[in-house]
Amino acid sequence: MKSSDLHAPSPVVQAPPVQARSSADWPFFAALAILSGTYVLLILGMLAADLSFTTPHHLLAALASPEIRFSIKLSLLSCTLTTLLALWVAVPTGYLMSRHEFPGKRFMDAILDIPIVLPPLVIGLSLLILFQTPLGRALQRHVPITYAVPSVILAQFAVACAFAVRTMLVTFDQISPRCEQVALTLGCNRSQAFWRVALPEARRGLLTAGTLAWARALGEFGPILIFSGATRLRTEVLPTTVFLELSIGNIEAAVAVSLIMIVAALAVLTLARGFGLRGPLERVW
Amino acid sequence: MRGKLHPPASNALRRRGACSARASFWALAALGSVAMMAVLAALLFWLSRNPQGSNVVTRKPLVLFCAAGLKPPVEAVARRYERTYGIPVQIQYGGSGTLLSNIRVSHLGDLFLAADESYLKSARELGLVAETIPLALQRPVIVVRSGNPQHIHTLEDLQSGGTRFALANPDAASIGRTVRALLSHTGQWAEFERKVAVFKPTVNEVANDVKLGSVDAGIVWDATAQQYPELEGVHLPIFDGAPETISIGVLRESAQPTAALRFARYLAACDQGLREFGRAHYRITDGDEWAETPEIRLFSGAMLRPGVEQTLKEFERREGCRITTVYNGCGILTAQMRAGERPDAYFACDQSFMSRVADLYGPPATLVDDRLVLLVQKGNPQGLRDVRDLTRPGLRIGLPHHEKSAMGFVAWRMLKAMGLYDQLGPNLKVESPTGDFLVNQMRTGSLDAVIACRSHYTTAQAHLDSLPIDDPLARLDQPFAVGRASRYPQMMARLLDALAAPASRARFESAGFGWRYQPISAP
Repeated sequence: MKSSDLHAPSPVVQAPPVQARSSADWPFFAALAILSGTYVLLILGMLAADLSFTTPHHLLAALASPEIRFSIKLSLLSCTLTTLLALWVAVPTGYLMSRHEFPGKRFMDAILDIPIVLPPLVIGLSLLILFQTPLGRALQRHVPITYAVPSVILAQFAVACAFAVRTMLVTFDQISPRCEQVALTLGCNRSQAFWRVALPEARRGLLTAGTLAWARALGEFGPILIFSGATRLRTEVLPTTVFLELSIGNIEAAVAVSLIMIVAALAVLTLARGFGLRGPLERVW
Repeated sequence: MRGKLHPPASNALRRRGACSARASFWALAALGSVAMMAVLAALLFWLSRNPQGSNVVTRKPLVLFCAAGLKPPVEAVARRYERTYGIPVQIQYGGSGTLLSNIRVSHLGDLFLAADESYLKSARELGLVAETIPLALQRPVIVVRSGNPQHIHTLEDLQSGGTRFALANPDAASIGRTVRALLSHTGQWAEFERKVAVFKPTVNEVANDVKLGSVDAGIVWDATAQQYPELEGVHLPIFDGAPETISIGVLRESAQPTAALRFARYLAACDQGLREFGRAHYRITDGDEWAETPEIRLFSGAMLRPGVEQTLKEFERREGCRITTVYNGCGILTAQMRAGERPDAYFACDQSFMSRVADLYGPPATLVDDRLVLLVQKGNPQGLRDVRDLTRPGLRIGLPHHEKSAMGFVAWRMLKAMGLYDQLGPNLKVESPTGDFLVNQMRTGSLDAVIACRSHYTTAQAHLDSLPIDDPLARLDQPFAVGRASRYPQMMARLLDALAAPASRARFESAGFGWRYQPISAP
């Protein structure tokens, strides 16, 4: 028990920075630098290739188009809503799976992986078929879902949530239950222990789960194409825009939209990380 | 010692005072996230309710020129529309011909409801009317007082010496024009005209005269006769064979076409206006269901998008409907239909895919065609001459996927027939779901030649060259059909009209498609 505590990685305690490198370490660091550098170069190379296929004129033209402005808005709003919904499901699911034993837990664990494993198109098709069942049709008589905005959120949620759940499960697994147990001995009930101890400790995981879900939702395409259609000014999100522009051979505009997407994603993720790690969450701790 | 505790726990326990603050922060954060979700959902709702360029229905009064005989049902529907939607409908009644002259002279008004199709046809030829929507059918009958005291059963009875009968003026009213046309056709008109005791300006006045007894009989519409309890209609075979369609047309000069169309749709809706026509004894047509903003779902082959997109946008704005268009490879679209999707209409990339789902659609109308071409890099560096050169060793070839896309199916069928498909061997590097992907792959330089369509070449001609494929199988016929399950068959017929209009044709042709549309029946 104690040894596991010692080895459990803590999200709070930072590893001490390496103060002095002995000269014999350089091959090790060189290997690290080369391996990680290759990947970074690959990413930068892709970006540079994208840039070579577009011009500021194309970027401005893309931003001026009402269809693309709509898809930017729809993408950002729907991703954020999806992220919050995913966290509301992922935190309790991860906590339950990590802290409790119950019959069917292995089965549930496997089920939760299905959205990660399935090809995105299949998820879209499955959602489409689900909403053609009598129950789905009955629901749609009151709330239009298929080919409407709710379908975008549902398609994003179906995939993004699985990643958030996985992240929260690992996060809670890595947090020792001991502190919660201590809190229980000090008079907290289960709910208080969760709100006061487990959740604050999981904040980095929460942030990671949130950003991961957001990024997945932003990039979501296959299910949306099938389940939401590709209707301009209605269910067109940024990846749909890229697809629609590509589908008429307008590579320049497709690349311009991709760059807008990259910039938006980087801005939001950087902001979220900065806010999350140095903002109020940190201060409360 | 504290070191035995897990550090966060020790921190937590050491600063128990912060504990409640922290808990309330997290509770607030949870509440805040719920509030934020509500705000986001509201913003998304607002975003989807305010599509840019959507129609705005004004509250200005609508002006309707209406054939006098149709007053009972039309008046009732118009008053109900006013009560429900707060938009006044000002109706000017008269004979169809008189109204047509009014419209020509005044250039005012929004809608024209004529008693038969011929006036709308004239109006359309004069460029006065845009869309028309059929409402009901009617036939001429001889009208007599109840019990038919004079025993009038044929045209001859009518023309026999002692019977005075009235007819509406053929130049002013639809019924007169219809009777004149029918009798001229059989050569009876000249004599019949001499026997008419009086010509009246509208059909109602003919019926009134019979009711008052100033004439013994008249010729009116069957529905008009039924609106008078004291009168009865005598059906004649010569009239029964040619029912006239009552249609409403939207005037081209209307300053508020969307509002005008909306009332026309209401009048022609099977669950609104047409009910009133049914009550007034008209034989009604198959109308659309009523919806203030109809939601239309269109499945379209991805390659057709450059041709249809702008037309759909304009149609949506004018009709005040919302069209959800699903663009995809036809193989995927037909698979979705097999999975239970029932779009209101389907625009297929090739007849072969339409016939796979023919049971779900009405008769298709072929609008455009496209031809397979061989696309090569600019300047044709490989020196390819025609499609047979694709088997040359070392070439990197791309084809559209023969199951996912219609074009792929047509290309596959052609290459099979030429005996080339199985010889492509390692040259065939990729089968893409849509032709555009092939064009993109060509543009990035990863392929030497692809088979795609002329319309794909149109978008990429700055970067690629095309070689024609001379083969009768290298053609895609692209039909449009209305779903049998559609709630809006009339609106879909108007969509077909819009797609077949000259502006749409120009768009298709500039996108590289060939024009094929033949009106099914030219009246």
